[in-house]
Amino acid sequence: MGTIIAIGAGIAVLTGIGAGIGIGLATKGAVEAIARQPEAKGDINKALLLGCALAEATAIYGFVIAVLIILFLK
Amino acid sequence: MEELSTELISQLGSKISFVIPIFGGIPVPTSVAITWGIMAFVVLFSLIFVRNLKMVPTGPQLYIEAAVSGLNNFLKDILGEEGKRYFPYLGTVTLYIGCSNLIGIFGFTPPTKDLNVTAGLAIMSILLIEISGIKAKGLKKWIIGFSHPMPLITPINILEIFIRPLSLCMRLFGNVLGSFVVMELIKIVAPAIIPVAFSLYFDIFDGLIQAYVFVFLTALFMQEAMETY
Repeated sequence: MGTIIAIGAGIAVLTGIGAGIGIGLATKGAVEAIARQPEAKGDINKALLLGCALAEATAIYGFVIAVLIILFLK
Repeated sequence: MEELSTELISQLGSKISFVIPIFGGIPVPTSVAITWGIMAFVVLFSLIFVRNLKMVPTGPQLYIEAAVSGLNNFLKDILGEEGKRYFPYLGTVTLYIGCSNLIGIFGFTPPTKDLNVTAGLAIMSILLIEISGIKAKGLKKWIIGFSHPMPLITPINILEIFIRPLSLCMRLFGNVLGSFVVMELIKIVAPAIIPVAFSLYFDIFDGLIQAYVFVFLTALFMQEAMETY
């Protein structure tokens, strides 16, 4: 039973892949936009920060589920 | 490892701090007691700094005015002029979430680590979003607004009323719980100086960003509800 719990928790945390790829793509867009128009740095910065926080949320959901699996399944 | 997992399980639930001995004992959870502390601190802070206000600001009044006008401008960008009556509530929520995420540095458990606190904040947000929509558009237009881009999406729009606050709540709770767990693990591995550097990212940076994101998303949803087509 312990191994199945471990495998389940491990699969739950795989949502981190989506967050990593998403934030990477967002940063790519932001850096290109800044390179094209350096005066808009403030707005681009804010949009990037917001996008990263939202994308990170899905990875956090996976983490919370993994913690719940480990702690509440015996 | 056993003690670590049992301690983590105990941290997930909410602990009772003390019992008020009236009406047969009202249990007061720790998060409520710490919230009272934050309230006292913020009220004292405001009372001290609004004494002797001058027309031409000098000294600490400059910083306070800069902070308040920064917050108002940021909210005005999203909500526009009609949303001015909601700025005080949103500013207070920012202050509260920011303080409660940062209080982990001083050794208390942050009240937002309790799922009930974040759920309460999310329920307040959902009430605010729906009420602002009804106030701006009137009851009939608000109900018709559910079928707005296409009548086919109406069930999804209705579901969104419940899904958005759920995601707000879980995002805040998950971030605070995650940084707490990681800090505990780091303290087990290296209890000396290293936790300070990590705490700078996890507690401070992450906490402030989560406060900003919570308020920004609430304001964004409110603006979306208040939009008259």
